[in-house]
Amino acid sequence: MAQKSELMPGTLDMLVLRVLSRGELHGWGITNKLEQLSNSALKVDEGSLYPSLYRMEEKGWIEAEWRKTENNRRAKYYSLTRTGRKQLETEQANWDRMSTVIAMVMESA
Amino acid sequence: MNLLRRIARRIGYLFRRHSTEAEMAEEMRFHLEQRTAELEADGLSAEEARYAAQRKFGNTASIEEQARDAWGWGWLERLAKDLRFAFRQLVRSPGFSILAIVTLGLGIGANTSMFSALNGVVFKQLPYANLDQLDRIYRVTPQNAEGNMSPADFLELQKSSDTYGDYAASAHNQVSLSDPGQPAQQASAARATANFFSMLGVQPQLGRGFLPGEGAAGLDRVAVLSQRIWLNRYGGAEDIVGRTVRIDGQPHQIVGVLPASFNDWRHLGYVDFFRPLAFTPEIAVDRKTTNLQVIGRRAPGVSLQDGAAFIESVGIRLAQEFPEFNAESSWRTVTLQSTAAGSGGVTVMPMLVALSAFVLLIACSNLANFLLARTMARAREFAVRAALGASRLQLLRPLIAESLLLSIAGGGLAIVVALWFSDWAAVRSTGDNGEQVTFDVNWLVMGWAFLASLVTAVAFGLAPALFALRLNLNDTLKSGGRGATGGRGHQRFRQVLIVGQFALAMVLLSGAALFIRGLDELHDRRAGWESAQVVTGSIVLPSGTYGDAEKISAFQRLMLERLGTLPGVASVSVATATPFFHWSDIRKFHIEGHERPPAGKEPAAMVNTISPQFFETFGMRIVAGRDFTERDNATATKVYLVSESTARAYFGDANPIGRRLAPAGGNADLDWGEVVGVIADFQPNDPDPSLVVHHIYVVMAQEPQRQFELAVRAENVAPSALVASIRATMTDLDADLPVRRLQPADKFIARMLYQLGVLRDMLTAFGALGLGLASIGIYGIIARTMAQRTGEFAIRIALGASVRNLTRLVLASGVKLALVGSALGLFGAFGVSSIIAAAFPGIRTDNLLVLAGTTFLLVAIALLACWLPARRAGKVNPVDALRAE
Repeated sequence: MAQKSELMPGTLDMLVLRVLSRGELHGWGITNKLEQLSNSALKVDEGSLYPSLYRMEEKGWIEAEWRKTENNRRAKYYSLTRTGRKQLETEQANWDRMSTVIAMVMESA
Repeated sequence: MNLLRRIARRIGYLFRRHSTEAEMAEEMRFHLEQRTAELEADGLSAEEARYAAQRKFGNTASIEEQARDAWGWGWLERLAKDLRFAFRQLVRSPGFSILAIVTLGLGIGANTSMFSALNGVVFKQLPYANLDQLDRIYRVTPQNAEGNMSPADFLELQKSSDTYGDYAASAHNQVSLSDPGQPAQQASAARATANFFSMLGVQPQLGRGFLPGEGAAGLDRVAVLSQRIWLNRYGGAEDIVGRTVRIDGQPHQIVGVLPASFNDWRHLGYVDFFRPLAFTPEIAVDRKTTNLQVIGRRAPGVSLQDGAAFIESVGIRLAQEFPEFNAESSWRTVTLQSTAAGSGGVTVMPMLVALSAFVLLIACSNLANFLLARTMARAREFAVRAALGASRLQLLRPLIAESLLLSIAGGGLAIVVALWFSDWAAVRSTGDNGEQVTFDVNWLVMGWAFLASLVTAVAFGLAPALFALRLNLNDTLKSGGRGATGGRGHQRFRQVLIVGQFALAMVLLSGAALFIRGLDELHDRRAGWESAQVVTGSIVLPSGTYGDAEKISAFQRLMLERLGTLPGVASVSVATATPFFHWSDIRKFHIEGHERPPAGKEPAAMVNTISPQFFETFGMRIVAGRDFTERDNATATKVYLVSESTARAYFGDANPIGRRLAPAGGNADLDWGEVVGVIADFQPNDPDPSLVVHHIYVVMAQEPQRQFELAVRAENVAPSALVASIRATMTDLDADLPVRRLQPADKFIARMLYQLGVLRDMLTAFGALGLGLASIGIYGIIARTMAQRTGEFAIRIALGASVRNLTRLVLASGVKLALVGSALGLFGAFGVSSIIAAAFPGIRTDNLLVLAGTTFLLVAIALLACWLPARRAGKVNPVDALRAE
């Protein structure tokens, strides 16, 4: 297992939005996806995903629905709303700009 | 997402809290189960897998906490915690809490009740449809700015209804009402045009209104009752419609009962029943009797200005066409709603509201003072918390919570106070006809109480708190929490509050005192007449039984003769008016030897039609000539008496006896009468001056009046002892004839001035409240100062200061503030007295003695309030006090 990195504050929301932009998922599904996409390199309490989800639901970026899973368990499925999609675009753009700037400074200084 | 939807969602979460929590738990459980299953599949034991899953998941409780924050519950829970804490804090210092709540409750309660009165008297809409189209039309003359119209002029106006809209008129008078098996009683009646009710949009609750044809003579013997008399006299009988009652001796059929909403006295006063206004041929041409109150409803699209301009033009035309009646009159239009408060209400209500606002301001500064002192006492605690990293908001939160609790309790108390006060004042202000100050306590008023309470508590609670937070942390901690003596700034702030309080209290108290003194003077004024030994009562002879002048005179002669022989009666007389108030009979006269003025511009005088012995009865002085006698009867030469100042104005220094007067208006042939005597001037008890200053007396036998006042002067017995025998004699003379308000004159005068009495009581209450609150304020600050300076006093005593010196030191510091405040308040007091003087020209308000007395009282109370805590200065034990440091 590779060295784990701490998640930068405020980035969890963006990652979750990105994951959900591929299609609706329940909380456990999001955890799996994040793990898989990051090669398990993110050091984060899995539970902290939930407050983040509720916050975003409250802000109207995502919406939720209780449905059955393939294994016939009840689970809460989250999907992106239109506002959420816009938010993702904004955050993505911000992130891109920020990382470019940071990279620029780090390389040239 | 917009704010409203978010708030709605949060409230939604709150109500679905239980199920939301359950869903959260389920979701997390699902997660943990999935992870556990996965780890088990990787080969861990069931138990190990469960622990590992939990480790990966993190602290469930803390995560749940964060989740609740996302839903906005954390905020609520913190508030609940703050409120619980604040509640415990308040309970821990009950003295402070009770003082603060009572201060808030009284201050806001006084204000709220005045607000509800203003709401009920001025702002509450009259209960009519299309109120914005309804106008009152006044005939303005030099004698009366709100005068009525003559029937002929009204009919003229009606002809021009196309341009303006519709008009309706009513005429008001007192009548006697008798039904079989019921004692006769006087009732206030009105005759109204057939369209009167429909114009106001009033539907009778039983029966009908008037039919158009009922305006004709002979068909007008129908009556519509008010809901009030229907309940009071007829017990709310359902079968009332169709019954016959005798009004002024004539049978009338009751055709309808008005709804309760029509009892609103603000437009017409209380009217017991309405009859149709019939324009007989002779009434239709009468331009002399101005007895019609006229209202109009503008047609849709006619603005108030356009309507008023048109009405004014009709007035001008009538003045030109009929100068002998209208030369000095003009017509004026105002909205009907604006007449609701009455001319007195318009000045008095805002004054009361302003004075109650003063009470509130004093209460506010008290509260600020209390809370500041409290916050200062906790300065060290704040400093420590701030040093440990508490944010400003975190420091303020408990203070906000305390203010919130205080404001809720204060607002609740304020509503109780307001309701209680409203009940009291409504009962206290009820007049003989049931009119009273209406207190409209509705949700608006309640809202006002809580809003005012909230704003007051939070603003005045937080201002000092913010002030306290500006303290330098370092200094506060270094001074060991006794920083409270130091901060010169907030000391100054509190002193300013005290000075302000005393200034306001001075204004309140002196305003109230001046008014009360003036009112008492007015009330006790018997300028040129006496009433202590007199009994008065009102009589209206029904036209049915007393059809002509001869019958009226015969009855009056008999009555005077019979009453004159009663034991204990010194003299007895009848008159259309008493000297207690201004006379309403205003007539114009030609004066012999004067150039004849243009028609309609003759000088006006108040006329009283009296019987002989009138002056004896009221103890009025005859200056020259003679009184009326029995010989001045219908067949004798017409005679007049005039007042002294009237004689001077009409005849200069010449002897007025034998000079002649003639009534104006009418034929070219003047009906001259002779002045036979001069009566000393007198002042009635009216708070308002009259626009007419001249007094002329006419003898009753020459112009018999159906409506008159009976006056009996007692001798060797109390006037109240005569009431029963007078009533017995009257019943004996005519069992169907009611005598209204038969009672000692002084009682009657007090009753008539009752509204001023209510005002007097309210002002007394405000003054006392203001004074009380201000004393509590100064007591509080001196007591607090004492507590803070114990150490200093201990040192002073240790160094040899005498107890007397210390007490004086403390006293001086308090009294100085009270004196500065009172001095500033004097300016306000002059302002208030000039407002009162403008509103009640009959009341004296320039009473320097009262002002001096008020200042003295205020300073004395301040001295007492300071002395109580100052006494403790002397009791400081230096050893104990210094050891406690």
